[in-house]
Amino acid sequence: MKKRIPAVLLLLLILAAVLVLLLTRYGYADQDRDAIMAPSTAQHWTGTDELGRDRTVRVAAALLIGLTGAAAAAAITTAIAACFGLLAAFSPASIATLLLFVSDVFLSLPWLFLLMMARSVLPLTASPLETAVTTFLVLAALGWPACARAIYRGAIELRCSEWMIQGHACGLKKRQLIKLHLVPHLRSLLLPQFLVCVPAFIVAEANLGALGLGVGEPMPSWGAMLLELDNSALLARSHWVYLPIVLLAVVLLILESFTTEVETHA
Amino acid sequence: MRSLLRSSFVSAALVALTAVSAPCQAAPRLTGELAWAIHYDPKTFDPAKVDDQASELVRYLTGGVLLRLNRQTQALEPQLAESYSVSPQGTLIVFKLRDRLRFSDGSALTSTDVAWSLRRVLAAATQAPVAEEFVAPGEVTVDTPDRLTVRVHLPKRVIGVEKSFDEIAIEPANRPSEGRVTAGPFTVSDYRRGQYVRLRRNANYWRRDSAGVQLPYASGVRLDVLNNREQEISLFLRGEYDVIDGLSPDYFAILTQRSPQSTRDLGASLNTEQLWFNQSPAAPLAEFEKSWFQNRGFRVAVSEAIHRADLARIAYNGHATPAYGFISPANRMWHNEALQYPHESVAEAARMLATSGFHRSGNQLYDAAGHAVKFSIVTNSGNAARQKMASMIQQDLAAVGMQVTIVPLDFPALIERLMHKQDYEACLLGVANAEPDPSSMVNLWMSSSPNHQWNPSEKTPATAWEAEIDRQMELQASSAVQQVRKKAVDRVQQIVADQQPFIYLVYPNVLQAISPQLRGVQPAILAPGLVWNIEVIRRQGGAR
Repeated sequence: MKKRIPAVLLLLLILAAVLVLLLTRYGYADQDRDAIMAPSTAQHWTGTDELGRDRTVRVAAALLIGLTGAAAAAAITTAIAACFGLLAAFSPASIATLLLFVSDVFLSLPWLFLLMMARSVLPLTASPLETAVTTFLVLAALGWPACARAIYRGAIELRCSEWMIQGHACGLKKRQLIKLHLVPHLRSLLLPQFLVCVPAFIVAEANLGALGLGVGEPMPSWGAMLLELDNSALLARSHWVYLPIVLLAVVLLILESFTTEVETHA
Repeated sequence: MRSLLRSSFVSAALVALTAVSAPCQAAPRLTGELAWAIHYDPKTFDPAKVDDQASELVRYLTGGVLLRLNRQTQALEPQLAESYSVSPQGTLIVFKLRDRLRFSDGSALTSTDVAWSLRRVLAAATQAPVAEEFVAPGEVTVDTPDRLTVRVHLPKRVIGVEKSFDEIAIEPANRPSEGRVTAGPFTVSDYRRGQYVRLRRNANYWRRDSAGVQLPYASGVRLDVLNNREQEISLFLRGEYDVIDGLSPDYFAILTQRSPQSTRDLGASLNTEQLWFNQSPAAPLAEFEKSWFQNRGFRVAVSEAIHRADLARIAYNGHATPAYGFISPANRMWHNEALQYPHESVAEAARMLATSGFHRSGNQLYDAAGHAVKFSIVTNSGNAARQKMASMIQQDLAAVGMQVTIVPLDFPALIERLMHKQDYEACLLGVANAEPDPSSMVNLWMSSSPNHQWNPSEKTPATAWEAEIDRQMELQASSAVQQVRKKAVDRVQQIVADQQPFIYLVYPNVLQAISPQLRGVQPAILAPGLVWNIEVIRRQGGAR
């Protein structure tokens, strides 16, 4: 039961966010100009921001956008990393060296500048949704080498495992080896990589947003909302400005706990 | 990946910590010394080569000038020159110097020093920015009939050229000293790069107060190089700094909360915040977009759809004034009181768009050819008020069916797009007007100017109304009759209000903080707003 607590908490958070978006009458971009930095009221449960936008709605939307984007980026990263890692592990040494060299080159790239370049070549009229998709795609494209290394090491262990050697000695064909021995073990290899990537991408997006490089306005993101904390005038006006960072910390803790549980029981 | 996660989380938390962490320590204050912060190091101490704010402030505090513009009355007052006269043709200016003037090192200041300083500023080799104000500085000659008289001969009349003498510091002939030997109230005594500039009182300064006490009252000025408003405010509240000029509305609110007696809102400044569309035929935009932006009805409709009072109230916490023209009401001499401009009305905006060939389907506006009206507004990142205004304009224009995206860009990238590539659709930026006289704005309004932002460097005016603006600006720049100049500038204001090449949004208010310990401050909207009368400012109980 204990191992399910993080998953349950995460589901509850997601459910709460969905309910907030469905039940409130405000959109995340709606400006209530008569309620600028409003305190907690029946209309705005956690008050409003500097443009009169409902903070609860924006935090809920940021949570869902962050989780969805990070999960999608983590899935792409894990898939790319799996292809590279497995190919390197089951290829001749020369090809493996080449593939690992490519992954090392990617690891050494200044990803922040690459992201800035990618954002700058986007057309100015790119919608907030397009900027969000681009941000997470670039994170996915740049995040795979570290995972590929881990998957490569796991795959090497698989390749040298007793059951693989035994299967090979028994005359199993390559297709049968992959089906019977490799695929069932991949889940325990890939799932932790996927789970580690999700919170890392959430934080990476938050950092980029705080630098003004993430998701475009008015779409809410963790990073854009954390920027409010840089304004001490706002901090003095409402304690609700701390809500995004508190919730972000909670989400990251839940995801970390979930990953630890999965790794422990894998 | 785990370590990446942790390090990233730590950096995210730093965003929060920057708001509360402000470890700061100012250099110790000397007795009777005034202190405040400048945001970066002066680029130069050579008074002839000043072209940045920090250097300009040092020149203002140290340089002795022939004439000084009173920042409150906006009238010229004699300083080193006891009197001056301008010939009826405007081509000869004669200065009569005060007797027994001395530089800070005790040497005599005569017409020879004045002529040398003027010639140095006018020489092409010096590349003094102020020389441009003489239009043809190479043809200006200076002579000295006697030790107290200086004559400046101009090839032709230049309107308002007398004000340029407020920016020319007189130095000892053939001994330029970068502010260490001056005829102004202070001299540069110490400079530590990235830390501070220290100025010492000039014991030979010519001015005395009505009781005969020699000015300046303060024993010196320390200008700390500090580009962090949080720290600056913290030091101000601790009494380490005496003044803060150019506060943003957010910081003004913090200071007002903690020290209400210190803050001053002087009302509208001369500066403007505006939105404009790219009308350049050379812009790499689709032809249908250019046709929108060149359409007066489209621009007027955008202007009518924007709620300026909301921009002032929300983006500036009420510390801004809605703007409808390029001359602020703070500029009493030149503001057009009878200006007629498009009033805010979403219904009127929709009607204007319909008569201009646009139609609406659902929540989206389309042009006559069926193109959805979508465009981006670029602005500079890091300016909270501008980004808030852009978000509000985004919502205002959605009400008439326009889809707007906001693109904050860092300043170099923004300038590259505006000035070189012209690759943008609309831009939200501000213009800082240092001077009330419209002559200083000529480079913005003449169609041939590279700073004519909506369509830079036109070979011939693209429209009849731009040609009319050119004519009126030339008229105001050449006429010596004030009424003629005023009429011409009023006409330009009306054309701009009719055509909306710039859609003016707000005039940000002048927000300042003054230590309750300070005496003699007379806040003004013109720079240096709080210390323009530095000679008579002193700290209460601060012995010299």
